[in-house]
Amino acid sequence: MDEGSGLEGMAAPGGEENTAPAGGGLEGLIAAVARDRDRAAFTELFRYFAPRVEAYCLRLGASRQVAEETVQEAMLAVWRRAHQFDPAIAPAAAWVFAIARNGFIDRIRREARPEPDPEDPLFRRPPQGTPEEAAVEEQSRRFLLSAIETLPPDQSEILRLSYFEWRSHSEVAEVLGIPLGTVKTRIRLALTRLRRTIGETA
Amino acid sequence: MTALPTHHPDPDMLLGYAGGGLREAKAAFVATHLAFCPACRSVVAGFEAHCGRLLEALPEAGTGTGTGTGGGGGAGGSRLDAMLDRVLALLDEAAPEPAPAGPAPAGDVPLPLRGWRGFPCGERAWNWIAPGVALSEWTVEAAGTRACLLRMEPGAPVPAHRHTAEELLLVLTGSFVDEYGTYGLGDVAAYRGGTEHHAAGGPDATCVCLFMLDGDIVFLG
Repeated sequence: MDEGSGLEGMAAPGGEENTAPAGGGLEGLIAAVARDRDRAAFTELFRYFAPRVEAYCLRLGASRQVAEETVQEAMLAVWRRAHQFDPAIAPAAAWVFAIARNGFIDRIRREARPEPDPEDPLFRRPPQGTPEEAAVEEQSRRFLLSAIETLPPDQSEILRLSYFEWRSHSEVAEVLGIPLGTVKTRIRLALTRLRRTIGETA
Repeated sequence: MTALPTHHPDPDMLLGYAGGGLREAKAAFVATHLAFCPACRSVVAGFEAHCGRLLEALPEAGTGTGTGTGGGGGAGGSRLDAMLDRVLALLDEAAPEPAPAGPAPAGDVPLPLRGWRGFPCGERAWNWIAPGVALSEWTVEAAGTRACLLRMEPGAPVPAHRHTAEELLLVLTGSFVDEYGTYGLGDVAAYRGGTEHHAAGGPDATCVCLFMLDGDIVFLG
């Protein structure tokens, strides 16, 4: 057994989509934590998400120690906030991503993460009379998601580096070994395409 | 019922907010727009869903660009077990957390702006820079961005000014107009550095905007 075997056991590098838990899936595991304080379900969530959240922090330039601390805090937040999870608002991985992102912003930048609050009386909703609001918002979210995921690979790669990995245009140029001007052009093309999608949704 | 916003932030800002790279002041600006705008909330949620998928793909994504390859980016087996044991030991103390309640509603300032860095919800002190136009004494400087409030009385034009970086406005009360259109509650205007633009208070009520600027501004009037 080499040192990597434990990692393979839990996150099977090279596998395609065989790493997400079967059955009720990640959503079901979070629901079990919320309902029953189910430690076995939490352990499965931990084994699935902890290495990914750590890899995310390392991508953003964190030290191993900061990454570990962020993982620990994020996973504890998953345990504490499981009852707030609503699969109609966000898929499990997006929910965990948001927790990890906010924890990392707090830890590395010492900054707040301002967010709107759906419970706020001033929070604006679409006009009454439209089909159920959550369904409409979910549909627009899916629409946008599919627009992002059908971008040409060279454009989606640049969005990933710019917005998921927080890299500047010049860092992106260096990583990809392409001129800065090409980076800017591709970002503009991708954003123009998304803006059109948004225009159709709004 | 007031209409929903029709002038939105650039997708660059929405994606920066969703991914987390956008710094705090601009994030507060975007989040305030989101409180008003279901359409942009869907954009942010859509990109967050995409980020969730990128997160799921991460341990396998060590090849190609970025740091590390193979298992290098992830937590190794025994180290992961140790981390898991530490977290499991903490679970008993980690009670379910109620959703945080923000400050109670005050006037017409939505969360998260209400309660953000001393944002003035009630009485506001103003520095008049031209007839009918003022900037708030409340100012936040953070990570190269300056935030304050801009107030325009009905019809009052903002004096000519020069700025090198982008200037952002978000309407909190009333409305204003410029050569591109009319901006109401929750609408966003973005002016690139070095561009000409002429904002003036709308016809009916005092307009108050959240105002953000990178770099310096010089009023020429």
